[in-house]
Amino acid sequence: MIKFNEKAPYAPVEYLYDVEEILYKGRSRFQEIIVIRNPYYGRMLLLDDVVQITERDEFFYHEMMTHIVMHSHPEPKKVVVIGGGDGGVVREVLKHKTVEKVFFVEIDEEVINVSRKFFPTVSAGMDDARVEIKIMDGADFVLNRKQADIDAVIIDSTDIIGFARSLFTTDFFNNVKNCLTKDGMFVTHTESLHFHKDIVIEIQEVLKKVFPVVDLYTAPIATYPGNWWAFAVASKNLSPREVRRRYDISTKYYSDEIHRQAFMPIGMYEKLMQRKLEW
Amino acid sequence: MIKNFRIEKHHAGIVAKATLFKCLRYLDKEVVETPFLLIDGEKLREKVSLIGRSIRNSTVFYAVKANPDREVIRFLHALGTGFEIASEGELELLLSIGVEPAKIISSNPVKSLKFLKLASTTGVNRFSFDSPDEVEKLAHHIPHCDVYVRLSVPNEGSEWPLSKKFGVELDEALALLCRARDRGLNPAGITFHVGSQCTNIYNWNIALEKAKTLWDMAEKSGIRLRLLNIGGGYPIAYTKSVVSIESIERNINALIYDKFPEDITVHLEPGRAVVGDAGIFVTTVIGKAKRSDENWLYIDVGVFNGLMESVGGIKYSYIVETSKQARHKKQWTVAGPSCDSFDVIDKNVTLHEPQVGDIVLILSSGAYTVSYASEFNGFSIPKTILI
Ligand SMILES: Cc1ncc(COP(=O)(O)O)c(C=O)c1O
Repeated sequence: MIKFNEKAPYAPVEYLYDVEEILYKGRSRFQEIIVIRNPYYGRMLLLDDVVQITERDEFFYHEMMTHIVMHSHPEPKKVVVIGGGDGGVVREVLKHKTVEKVFFVEIDEEVINVSRKFFPTVSAGMDDARVEIKIMDGADFVLNRKQADIDAVIIDSTDIIGFARSLFTTDFFNNVKNCLTKDGMFVTHTESLHFHKDIVIEIQEVLKKVFPVVDLYTAPIATYPGNWWAFAVASKNLSPREVRRRYDISTKYYSDEIHRQAFMPIGMYEKLMQRKLEW
Repeated sequence: MIKNFRIEKHHAGIVAKATLFKCLRYLDKEVVETPFLLIDGEKLREKVSLIGRSIRNSTVFYAVKANPDREVIRFLHALGTGFEIASEGELELLLSIGVEPAKIISSNPVKSLKFLKLASTTGVNRFSFDSPDEVEKLAHHIPHCDVYVRLSVPNEGSEWPLSKKFGVELDEALALLCRARDRGLNPAGITFHVGSQCTNIYNWNIALEKAKTLWDMAEKSGIRLRLLNIGGGYPIAYTKSVVSIESIERNINALIYDKFPEDITVHLEPGRAVVGDAGIFVTTVIGKAKRSDENWLYIDVGVFNGLMESVGGIKYSYIVETSKQARHKKQWTVAGPSCDSFDVIDKNVTLHEPQVGDIVLILSSGAYTVSYASEFNGFSIPKTILI
């Protein structure tokens, strides 16, 4: 059987996947897009040779990316999803009945097309009437948005040192803040706490210069090197640790219980930020 | 607009992701006027906490020559590091920042008179030497100071050998220690330098063996030494990974434990390993040319204004800014901006093709770069920026 050897430049480990079939291989303006099938994970989406999602376990990432902010906000109506061209986050956002509008901002239309074709269960929400698809750089979208009417901004991007860097600049974070309502929430994925703790800290520090409330939660993602994945979450005043709405959606991993345990204990968080966690 | 850089697997072994992330964030937000040297403070902090950790009774004195930038020195001072200096200029810099003289040593075996005069008025009190004349100078200017003799040791396997210029053999070293004692100085110990960017772990074995021999010889002559200064030399990754500092230190520590008294004081004076891989040179492509079948890439830093060590054989890794469309790599001769034909940084460098005006990042360039730079041909010395 042929193999796929993942070449994430900064991972100190490499993963080797069995490939039953290469279902798609193409190059967009931005990146190489490949879909393979693996006997365990099912279909897998690769961007520039890095695994983004797999059919079998995508819900860990998509649920945890989405539902923390959606449950700590008292009533999320307008949501912006930047990146996540596969549509997984959009699908999760739409599970919330409060949602009236989702701006789905993806720079690479090809990823959307590939997902529609090969990941129908992931891309399922894209055609919902509440969703407005915008093919553009998410950084430009928040820059040009003049009203502060967004309840949640969710960033599901590729690697932070690649072209998705526009979603990690201080200007970008400021622009996000400017389009959030007073209870607005922001979440972005950062890095593995095992392998790149220093970057996780760095992003927390940068966000703290912009937002009054900044925190960190984690989720286990089997296919991301380092597995113990950190999400940076920020808001203008509400703590994301609190579940402010009844949990009544159907999920596989996320629950109100998981919500509370996903955050680092305060003492450990402080140690992390003081760079006293040594590994 | 975000700049598009070609980051590849092999870069990962050279520059830390966090350092690169900070550097790219800096470049994304600023309108940049190159060339300049970015230094990642967090990387400095990490190196300072790492170096010396595995060697008992050790104290670290950063070799200021590696990068004497004011902000870098201030940052290291705040972390509690000591400093190793060679000249009046370096001493003045440290004093102006408020570094206590007790945190300063000088391992330059041949010191200028100006330096000695300034040192004597400020209380710097620990010096290396390797000649009778130096004993006289020290006895005259700084009577009773602590001195340690520089032993000559093999420098094979280090990319920047230092041994030819300094150091003496065992018999002469002993004679010098005795002479220092007779002239009222305090013969405190021994130093050596295995050569900078030393990737041969056995250099330390040979050096420590030799130092032990001298230690015993001194003892027989009634001189009880207590200080072992093991110099610098720890390597950093330029184009390939190198043996880790932990492994080097574990080896050194075992040897010292085995050979020397329990209460020995060990001094380390690393330069390159402290600042080298915290630094990224940010340069710009100023021209390209094809000369016979050689592709030339001209950038705004060269041998004279920052990359002097390339002449001694140091090869760097580069990350280029290119459009996504540039798929193919070419072999380049990379050259600096001056009109001197000596100003060639490297040959046969495989890179995606950048355009004139694109940025080229030069990795692991925090040490012995800006500190060597001149304004030859009117090209200014790049600034160091601590981020
Ligand atoms: C006496 C002395 N100590 C320390 C150093 C620092 O060496 P390195 O940068 O290799 O650690 C040097 C370098 O030239 C030196 O001459």
